[in-house]
Amino acid sequence: MDFRRTDDIEEALASLAELGSDAQVLAGGTDVMIQIQRGELDPGTLVHIERVDSIGEITENGRLTVGALATHLELSRHPALLDRYPSISYSASLVGGWQTQAVGTIGGNVCNASPAADLLPPLLVHGARVLVASQDRGERELPLSDFVVGRRSIAREPDELVTGFSLDPVEEGTADSYRKVGRRGAMEVAIVGVAVRLSVDSGATIKEARGAVCSVGPVPFRATAAEESLIGLTADSDEVAAAGQLLLEQSQPIDDARATARYRTMVLPRVFESVVTDCYLRATGPLR
Amino acid sequence: MTVAEDSVSVNGRSVTVKSSAGTTLLEFLRESLGLLGTKEGCSEGECGACTVLVDGQPLHSCIYPALAAQGRTVETIEGISKGGDLSSLQAALIAAGGVQCGFCTPGFLMTLTALLRDDPSPDPDQVARAVAGNICRCTGYAQIVEAVAADLPRPGGTR
Repeated sequence: MDFRRTDDIEEALASLAELGSDAQVLAGGTDVMIQIQRGELDPGTLVHIERVDSIGEITENGRLTVGALATHLELSRHPALLDRYPSISYSASLVGGWQTQAVGTIGGNVCNASPAADLLPPLLVHGARVLVASQDRGERELPLSDFVVGRRSIAREPDELVTGFSLDPVEEGTADSYRKVGRRGAMEVAIVGVAVRLSVDSGATIKEARGAVCSVGPVPFRATAAEESLIGLTADSDEVAAAGQLLLEQSQPIDDARATARYRTMVLPRVFESVVTDCYLRATGPLR
Repeated sequence: MTVAEDSVSVNGRSVTVKSSAGTTLLEFLRESLGLLGTKEGCSEGECGACTVLVDGQPLHSCIYPALAAQGRTVETIEGISKGGDLSSLQAALIAAGGVQCGFCTPGFLMTLTALLRDDPSPDPDQVARAVAGNICRCTGYAQIVEAVAADLPRPGGTR
């Protein structure tokens, strides 16, 4: 296995064009190195991009764009994210400990495509678009929901590099929230993770609803049926509980080392309901 | 500090990394440099025993490539206790009973060193959050958090 470090995006893309699927992109290494040590990955070359500074920044130009190399620590502290996308900051602060957050990147969390990836539900509710670049075909972008296609499977070509994520704007009357269920308060892999983004009109009626979940299927996904059922509602708890049942119907909870399918089935609609309520209060009330 | 691109500064000393791609920073520190203070616990970034500082940030040296540290500064527990003189935080940890078997201690000290540089007066919640990625199976954390409080530069603290 070779190690090729680059600090320059063009050089990184040239390496990927040359090496193709023989290359493994390496940023903070918190997933990749474990997989190499377990023998799950055996690339010919590690292309180390951790210090390609041009894709590590958080910038604003109509849409907020988060560079692929922004670390979880940076996401958890960035003023624009804390102010308008707090579900992203908060979910980042729940990934591993300081040691993981300091080097683990948003690009890595998405490309690792774990069914339990904490950043995916909040990115999905904010309509994240994935920015991808290659030497030969230039740049393209696609919705995150089309990028993560299966358990640990993404729509990235071998010569492509994910460079960032752009987020839908957040207007007045919109709030978001993320909640993670784990057995303890730190160093947990989600048993269930739920993100919600709601927009209300001047009469405090929900005019747009987005929900997304992780750890209840092979891929984190948008709760489309539940979303539609929330439109036009106020915080009427019976209706919100019914939306939680629609989400459950769209889910495929399984038994694993962390929890049973039965537990996930019990907890998912309840957590969804409470996140919707929390989000609604913040969209309509003085908490916002 | 500027570090040459093919070297890594370990506790202020510049050394060349001659490792294979899959060699971890932990292996490099322990086996190439003989710095045995950094411990290997879980080997998969869960327990924090292998914590070192790279450019001032704590990370798991057991899952970080040695070659990725090129051009950067690395601090280990050996850099905290220079020549065997304990830092005030190390002394406070002993005084508070925050060391039992000691295997997790170097990792805790590196994380806490980074915390105290960021925030010289963290409250107990901030200390607990900072060391969420360090696992101790002996003392039970309370004494470790108390040691930091005792080491703060304020009334009741020793520094």
